[in-house]
Amino acid sequence: MKLKFKIALFALLIIGIQNVTAQSKTIQGTVTDPSGFPLPGASIIVEGTQNSASTDFDGRYSLKGVNSTDKITYSYVGLISQTIVVGGRSTIDVTLVQSTQNLNEVIVGYGTQKRTKVTGAISTVGSKDIAAVPITNAESALQGRAAGVTVVNGAPGSNPTVTIRGLATMGNSAPLYVIDGVLTNNLSGLSPNDIESMSVLKDASTTALYGSKAFNGVIMVTTKKGKKGPGQLSFSTYAGFQTITKRYDVLNTQQYLQYAKDLGSDLTTRAAEFGNINTNWQDEIFQSGIMQDYNLSFSNGTETSTGRYSAEYLKQEGAVINTGFERYSFRANNTQDIGRLKVGSNIGISFSTINPERSAGGRTLLEHAIKMAPYLPVYNENNLGGYQGPSAVDGNDAENPVRVANLGYQKINNLSIIGNIYAELELLIGLKFRSQVSLDYFTSKDHTFVPSYNDGSYHRQAFSTTNETNAQGQTIVFDNSLTYKTTIASKHNLEVLGVITKIDGKSRNLVAGSRYNISDEIDQLRYNEGSLTSANYEEKNIGYIARINYDYADKYLLAVSGRRDASSRFGANNRWGNFYSVALGWNIAKESFMADSFFSTLKLRASTGTTGNDRIDNYQYSATLLADYNYPIGGGNAPGVSLGVAANPDLKWESKRDRNIGLDFGFFDDAFTGSFEYFNSKSSDILFAVPLSASVGSAGGGTQIQNIADVKVSGYEITLAYNDRKGDFTWSAVANLGTNKNEVVSLAPGVTSVLGGPVPRAGSENFSRLEVGQPLFYFYGYQTNGIYQNQAEVDAVFGPGQTNIKPGDIRIVDRDGNKIINSEDKTNIGNPYPDFTYGLNITAAYKKFDFNCFITGVHGNDIYNANTFDLKAMNRLFNASTDVLDRANVVNGVVTNPSASLPRAQGADINWSSANQRYIEDGSYTRLKNVTLGYTLPGETFGSYFSNIRFYVSGQNLVTITKYSGLDPEIARTDGNANSAGIDLGRYPQPKSVIFGLDVKF
Amino acid sequence: MMMRKIKHIVGALFGILVMNSCDSSDLELRNPNTLSPDTFFKTEAQVESSVNAAYANLQTRGLYARNFFFAMDLMGQEAAGNPQLEGNKKPFQDFSFNAGNDIIQYYWESCYIGISRANFVLDNEAKINALPNSVLSQEKKNKFLGEVHFLRAYYYFLLVKRFGDVPIYKTVTIEGAARSPKAEVYDLIRTDFEFASQNLLSKTVEQTGRATKEAAFAYLGKVLLYEKKYDLALAALNNVTGFSLEDRGNFYNNFMEETEHGKESIFEIEFDEKNGTGNKWDDPGNSQGTGFAESTLRGQEYGNLSWFNVYPTDDLLNSFESGDERFAETFYVPGSTYLDGKLTMTAQNFNTSAGLRKAGWKKYQNYYKKEDEAVQSSINVKVMRYADVLLMKAECENQRDGGSQTAAIAYIKEVRDRAGLTTAIVPTKEAVFAAIVQERKVEFAGEQSRFDDIIRWGIASTALQGSGFTAGRSELWPIPNRETSSNPNIKPSNNNPGY
Repeated sequence: MKLKFKIALFALLIIGIQNVTAQSKTIQGTVTDPSGFPLPGASIIVEGTQNSASTDFDGRYSLKGVNSTDKITYSYVGLISQTIVVGGRSTIDVTLVQSTQNLNEVIVGYGTQKRTKVTGAISTVGSKDIAAVPITNAESALQGRAAGVTVVNGAPGSNPTVTIRGLATMGNSAPLYVIDGVLTNNLSGLSPNDIESMSVLKDASTTALYGSKAFNGVIMVTTKKGKKGPGQLSFSTYAGFQTITKRYDVLNTQQYLQYAKDLGSDLTTRAAEFGNINTNWQDEIFQSGIMQDYNLSFSNGTETSTGRYSAEYLKQEGAVINTGFERYSFRANNTQDIGRLKVGSNIGISFSTINPERSAGGRTLLEHAIKMAPYLPVYNENNLGGYQGPSAVDGNDAENPVRVANLGYQKINNLSIIGNIYAELELLIGLKFRSQVSLDYFTSKDHTFVPSYNDGSYHRQAFSTTNETNAQGQTIVFDNSLTYKTTIASKHNLEVLGVITKIDGKSRNLVAGSRYNISDEIDQLRYNEGSLTSANYEEKNIGYIARINYDYADKYLLAVSGRRDASSRFGANNRWGNFYSVALGWNIAKESFMADSFFSTLKLRASTGTTGNDRIDNYQYSATLLADYNYPIGGGNAPGVSLGVAANPDLKWESKRDRNIGLDFGFFDDAFTGSFEYFNSKSSDILFAVPLSASVGSAGGGTQIQNIADVKVSGYEITLAYNDRKGDFTWSAVANLGTNKNEVVSLAPGVTSVLGGPVPRAGSENFSRLEVGQPLFYFYGYQTNGIYQNQAEVDAVFGPGQTNIKPGDIRIVDRDGNKIINSEDKTNIGNPYPDFTYGLNITAAYKKFDFNCFITGVHGNDIYNANTFDLKAMNRLFNASTDVLDRANVVNGVVTNPSASLPRAQGADINWSSANQRYIEDGSYTRLKNVTLGYTLPGETFGSYFSNIRFYVSGQNLVTITKYSGLDPEIARTDGNANSAGIDLGRYPQPKSVIFGLDVKF
Repeated sequence: MMMRKIKHIVGALFGILVMNSCDSSDLELRNPNTLSPDTFFKTEAQVESSVNAAYANLQTRGLYARNFFFAMDLMGQEAAGNPQLEGNKKPFQDFSFNAGNDIIQYYWESCYIGISRANFVLDNEAKINALPNSVLSQEKKNKFLGEVHFLRAYYYFLLVKRFGDVPIYKTVTIEGAARSPKAEVYDLIRTDFEFASQNLLSKTVEQTGRATKEAAFAYLGKVLLYEKKYDLALAALNNVTGFSLEDRGNFYNNFMEETEHGKESIFEIEFDEKNGTGNKWDDPGNSQGTGFAESTLRGQEYGNLSWFNVYPTDDLLNSFESGDERFAETFYVPGSTYLDGKLTMTAQNFNTSAGLRKAGWKKYQNYYKKEDEAVQSSINVKVMRYADVLLMKAECENQRDGGSQTAAIAYIKEVRDRAGLTTAIVPTKEAVFAAIVQERKVEFAGEQSRFDDIIRWGIASTALQGSGFTAGRSELWPIPNRETSSNPNIKPSNNNPGY
């Protein structure tokens, strides 16, 4: 302490002496961005002094009292700061470049923070990275770029599944999104071109400010604002196509006819009726979808105001027939300075139309395409509706997937308005009051029309059906905050924040359906055999927030925050929750003893804190009656009312305690940078719809929301980057690797295990299981060990006399040796979570060429391939995988082909009706997610008309290395729920795409 | 000046907002979409609706809308599967089902949810009885309670026949109970049917669809017969009065929509698509009974012009004596006419990928008025016909001490006369028993009676020889895994023998 004091005193003395002795002068210059645009409002400060200035409207500045030994730091929001030793110069022009990786300023809750002062775990992605790759949704920009963040896309227009640092909850695991301070559930209405930067807040020290909403992490998005200076018009466009090339190998007509004969169905005559054709049903449902995007933006600013206006049109045809997405999005961001008052607004509006992938009979198009008889044609103009489907004589009732997809339509029209209006008043120097009103408003109309059709005896409808769901909702958030920022004795930097926030959410829906027997010409609702219901939902939250950030000379950092939160989703007894965080940081590189080291950055961080989760349905704590149990009495429809879903008045918050230790380092002037994070968290009282005993007869699936489990998650993340910014050839590489491991620590008293998740096609039982000491929802099922070759082998296990299991059946391991296969023989057969995930992003530029290549992957996870049932189970006649040709052939009770990979056809029910190891596959993959090559024409090519023109070509998902047999190893959890982790239900695979693009700046 | 004004306004707004935010009583929200149990049972309509809800579970896919008829007809070897029969139904034909089978689960859940709905009403018995008679007359209070007792017994009867020992719940709870001995389950069923028989209204005055006094007596008799208490059973059955068989030539009236609730019909499971077609396939309610799905899939599933998932077995076809007029009303064969006699079926109408079938099902088909079956059928399932009462009475007379074979034969003769059969039955106990076995098999073909009958008679091993039926195992279904994985008081090791 004494030493430090001495050093400080000495330093002061030196500065003092220098001030007296050195010849001070005035430095002038301009600050511009790389394209030569002036940067107004850039800050210029002489290091270690209060001597500062800022640039004017033309980017010019003038700074008095500067000595030649001084170092001047130039900084501008979103760009890399530069520090320059004055030397003999009196004019210094500076060009500030945008960071490729670490932005200097990062957005945190209710403000921004300098990267050097961050004490939590935050990953950031800047607009340059976002622009590097053509993407249709903003979330995709995070994929592989932010360590510990996984993003999986679905069908066009659907929201991607985003997970931060693995699963710590069992319900909704989606992060909170905050767009310019507006809380929302996804980024669907936002054009990626409008994003300035995204921050992923991963630990409690950064997320605790959002209290009950921040359990799964927070993704902060700042949209691009107008810049002071002359107006700039930009135009960008891309066009390309996407396609799905992988197919399951299924039987052709000739193979199918033989297979059917083996199963007791002779279809030779039937196939001949259709001319023995061979329809490839998978080819029929996949297509090359064209995508195109046009984006126009204009930005300008005066001394006291800025504005940015943009419009985008995106049209994407899906890689599956009759799927697609179309979006118009508009954004206007404005700021106005009126003396000490600053007002502004950020408003985005989008209109979109989604044609989702359609399904029939609760089965996906892919399932129907696998199962359809290959000898049937797609079309038959003699049939009502024009399609050919199976009849009873085919003995196979898969639906014609082309008819399911193409007949009639389903359209989801969405309107979304997300925006805020704020006013910020500087009450005293350093003391600001800010009041903000945010709105997240949506309307949605989901309209489906199916005309009458008749494909054959299985699939026909003598009337048209129209179904429509109209939903509308709004969330209004009032934030009122006070911040006080000061520096005491030039070393003690203090920032204090207080916020009161109030969230008021309302939504409403109207669901209607009707059928019409008279004509197919009307695709609207008719009051003719109709149904109609509506519902109203309301949600309220109140939060009180406080935060103190303190640092001593940028070296020793402290951040403390607290939030007290109440949610209407919980009963009065458990309505309030308290959340806090504490974080410490030490900028070691700034210590004097590090002055000569090659470390340009070395910072140690540690944090701990708590967050909560109220993401359950509204009103779950109150007992309700359902009025939906009708029964025909006396010739009319008598309404029935009885108990609804079992209520739980003791519901309380899910809470999570997070710990994070981080080390940031940079060598050689930050040419090498990297960070290491270790985290662990413990989630308590996790909410889950626990299955009640079926025999208690509870409604709504027989579950009750309970605070059931405690789960711990731990892992580490490593990010390493190299930047070579010198010369004609510049390049950078960023690699990241993340692990996370979750384990159930305890379950509610009296509960030893809980089953959840989807059920296998033919069975009734969930196969994702919770158990203490195991990962969340691991796969629980039977072990298998080959195929019974003869009766002696069967009898050796079951004893003589039983007739269920026969030679050719799967040898399911009788773990308890009681000669009966029942659920007590089930065990852990797979883990849906990867050992680690990784990403490698390489960018390079040579003169006017730019290149980006981006690889992601996961390793060590298991996938439950539910399609296996349709491909291999052979429990009745459907088309199937060519693997069925290699099934066990049983003659007189003996398998004649011992090497057979599959059991006998139509064998024991238990072969496939429960989860077993044969459904589980290694899900590891490495994928070339993106490769882009661009060329920028010199600005003068077309005179001074354009300032910048860039062409590029880009390919996505071109190469995937995996052992997984399914169409795509990159699978999303259903609705983001933990209990469907790692289960491939045959949903929309990620397409390959090739895109050509053009960016123009005028 | 401007600045000062703004400052004041902002300050005032801030004050208002802070005060507003502190008011946390805002957070007390009422669910506007549902009713609350606290304020219920105040009017006749409310009491009645709570009773109706207990009926709704009879219509689930787990029971009469879909799975039940498949499982029972296949186990009884009355029906056999065509190649297109679904994988979860096939195991019932060869008794290879296990505790993971979803049909068994939905059956179990459908019954227990029905029981829970009945218990919900009985839990509020005090509230209902406390209503002034001006709101709800004593007679109606009694009969509403009688209906839920009837339904609770009906569901427990479905359960005890399939699972043997089952957990008993007499009140709504969320705690799973252990299995109770079969005898205790039968005690509860009897008590409930007795209560119902004392409190329900007669069919002559009650609305169609509701349980009646006569239905309660008929089922009480049936339960007692299953318990082999023949004298008591006969006494109960003798209380079923005011019914007669549909006339000779009108046997099919029992299986059409237009002739529902006729003179032979004692209890029916109601379906009526005009009250709601719903969407059968996307409905999560395999066992919930929610929504407007008021129709059964039987017609489409069984119909030989439709999905033709099952066909009548040769054994069943051959069981009909020559001249039995019921044959042509039970089955379609090539040459049968349909659509009011306008169309005639050809051999090709019985074609499957596994070859031509001899016959298809006619009972409960809509072909008499429709060219083909759509997803929906409105035909009620006649679960208790007077023919059943007659044949049960015959069985009681034949089996009871001091019973009369002549009286028994008279009951059987009534049924056989209607079928146009004249062969006399020899008045010995064995011959009468054999006649009852035969008569029940053909009279109730495809009506989910055969399997129950041969089990209670103890003749399943011989009757089902070659089917895969294993004595000591196949008599009962396994308790579904869904129960053993969620009920701490029933472990997989507590399951029925062989599962």
